[in-house]
Amino acid sequence: MEELEKLKKERDEYLDGWKRAKADFSNYKKDELKRVENILKLSNEQLIRDLLPVLDSFDLALESLGEDKKVERGVYLIRSQMEDVLKKYGLERIPVKAQDPFDPSVHEAVASVESNQELGTIVEEVERGYRLGDKVIRAARVKVAK
Amino acid sequence: MAKILGIDLGTTNSAAAIVEGGEPKVLENAEGNRTTPSVVALSKSQERLVGLLAKRQSVVNPKNTVYSVKRFIGRKFTDSEVQQDKKSLPFEMQESSGGGVEVKMGERWYKPEEISAMVLGKMKADAEAKLGEKIEEAVITVPAYFDDSQRQATKNAGEIAGLKVRRIINEPTAAALAYGLNKKKNEKIVVYDFGGGTFDVSVLEIGDDVVEVRATGGDTHLGGDDVDGRIIEFLLDEYKKNEGTDLSKDPLAVQRLKEAAEKAKHELSTAMETEINLPYVTSDANGPKHFVMKMTRAKLEDLVGDLVVHSIDLVKKVIEDAKFKLSDIQEIIMVGGQTRMPLIQEEVKKFFGREPHRGINPDEVVAIGAAVQAGIFQGDVKDVLLLDVIPLSLGIETLGGVFTPMIEKNTTIPTSKNQVYSTAADNQTSVEIHVLQGERPMAADNKTLGRFILDGIPPAPRGVPQVEVMFDIDANGILQVHAKDKASGKEQSIRIEASTQLSKDEVEKLKQEAAAHADEDKKKKELIEARNQGEQTAYLAEKSIGEWKDKIDAVLKEGLETKIKDLRDALQKEDKDAITSKTQDLSAELQKIGQQMYNKSNERPQDEKPMEGDE
Repeated sequence: MEELEKLKKERDEYLDGWKRAKADFSNYKKDELKRVENILKLSNEQLIRDLLPVLDSFDLALESLGEDKKVERGVYLIRSQMEDVLKKYGLERIPVKAQDPFDPSVHEAVASVESNQELGTIVEEVERGYRLGDKVIRAARVKVAK
Repeated sequence: MAKILGIDLGTTNSAAAIVEGGEPKVLENAEGNRTTPSVVALSKSQERLVGLLAKRQSVVNPKNTVYSVKRFIGRKFTDSEVQQDKKSLPFEMQESSGGGVEVKMGERWYKPEEISAMVLGKMKADAEAKLGEKIEEAVITVPAYFDDSQRQATKNAGEIAGLKVRRIINEPTAAALAYGLNKKKNEKIVVYDFGGGTFDVSVLEIGDDVVEVRATGGDTHLGGDDVDGRIIEFLLDEYKKNEGTDLSKDPLAVQRLKEAAEKAKHELSTAMETEINLPYVTSDANGPKHFVMKMTRAKLEDLVGDLVVHSIDLVKKVIEDAKFKLSDIQEIIMVGGQTRMPLIQEEVKKFFGREPHRGINPDEVVAIGAAVQAGIFQGDVKDVLLLDVIPLSLGIETLGGVFTPMIEKNTTIPTSKNQVYSTAADNQTSVEIHVLQGERPMAADNKTLGRFILDGIPPAPRGVPQVEVMFDIDANGILQVHAKDKASGKEQSIRIEASTQLSKDEVEKLKQEAAAHADEDKKKKELIEARNQGEQTAYLAEKSIGEWKDKIDAVLKEGLETKIKDLRDALQKEDKDAITSKTQDLSAELQKIGQQMYNKSNERPQDEKPMEGDE
């Protein structure tokens, strides 16, 4: 009788272990799928992040040349072409206007400047901010009124 | 059971990890990052901000943005370090009624533990959001040199944040836990932690299930930030020298340069040279100016070499303090992002004469170790069923004496694997299954576990018979090898009991041998593969000539025969490249057979239908 109890106990333990292993494995497969999806998403994110300085330089170039109206329209088209491609992968520009209140969830202050504007409002955007999906991958760099 | 959070509460950044399904993993915070700046602020609109958001507004709100409180937690206001640090920080500080430190944010004075509690509170809330369950307990790490009062204050910070602190553990101990070194008995370990703002060295000794800190040292104001600072300084100087413009006056340019310096630092960990390229960095009377400069790894090492030397001196001193000899140290663990720098790895390796551990992300290893400790409390790490792995690959010998693994090393057992093989010669009626164990690509260099012969295979051209080989290894490491000819149904098998009975030393020796011979083995294997490929092509060509001799012209036939002879000659020798090129020549020639035959069929009348339907 004791033997039977012992075996029953052992059986339950093994059955439990087996079920757990099965469950672990099926969870693992699901996690693995998620992980692969994440890797895909993340590798895109890394690439897009690395491209942001290129967009910045583009902005700076256009801004600098635009003053003298030396820029061929085609150059603007190339820029928007590039933006369209990145948009397809979920990159959105964070819109910033002067007078907007400073919001650290999307803005990063690089300097506070004297201004006749209301305290704590944005005076100028110095570098664009971007969202990838719903994640802010870079906050817009702004100057804020003192 | 509720999860226990492992938290690395750092001076500049913090990280949190948990154990799930037996594996520790770092959690992303609400902003999607794996680390959270240890910064708290009260915004102009009286809103409390923690982490990245607090950091983003620090420039416009320096008086109400508090950071580095870890330098003050549990300390006396009159401590000389506190007084020293106070000078470089923009927020207000005063002595509390109990003699401790208080910092001002908005209209109120806060104790450092209250500020740390806000950081911990965010880590807790973000982890809960990520996991979808409540978290009530935590393991928090502190530097090994923290005294009782600093530990108690850190514990209080946890309690204020609504966390029951199961244990405060030392950062170096956490790093050792992350690498599983707590299981090694009587070992002495050095943890080299080059963080963002602080450099810590600790000597640990592992006794019976306890990790003891034997000595600590370091420099509380040496870190990766200093390395970045040196690079930026250099870039600014060079630019001033070459272009005559001082960029340090332009905050946006400095910001861009800072990022570029960090990026260059990261790139120089893998590349020997990088280019720092910042178009339109500034402008002067003559128009826009650009920043383009090449930087080599040698230059970076030149810039910061003294910092690294200084860190090694500190290591030396700590080992002396612990009254150990250098040769007593069995393991070295690298912590902190800056340890990715090759110069640091080399210097540490040179100093100790052994490889440091650095498999785990050095930014996350402390949080992971805290989670491992949490997992022990949680009971997740307790293995009900201990599953073994096979230490060396198991496989069979195939054509040309090559070892073909069936079950790769480190595979968890029990497991089984099937693979179909064929014959190497025409009308071969038996195959020998030679079962081997090891990591070398050639069968002769590995250990024979057993062999048997499967015969009775019906005569057929080579490559046609299908022999299914099955390896099955049970939980006790007993290996069964079956071979079955699919055509005749004939079977043969062998049972090998001792496949996992190698001692740890033997396994280590075999692995090292494999590594030592890797190059030479690779060449040998490539030669054999080229030979096999060559043999096969020659065989195919001979067969094709026999088969199509009526359909191809004499010129082609002759061409083929010469090329076959050339290849056969090359096969006698050891020159892999010659074999490969002769094989390619022959297979190019072979394709002409098809061409000629198609051309012939195209000469047929146009209206003839393709070969289809009834004939």
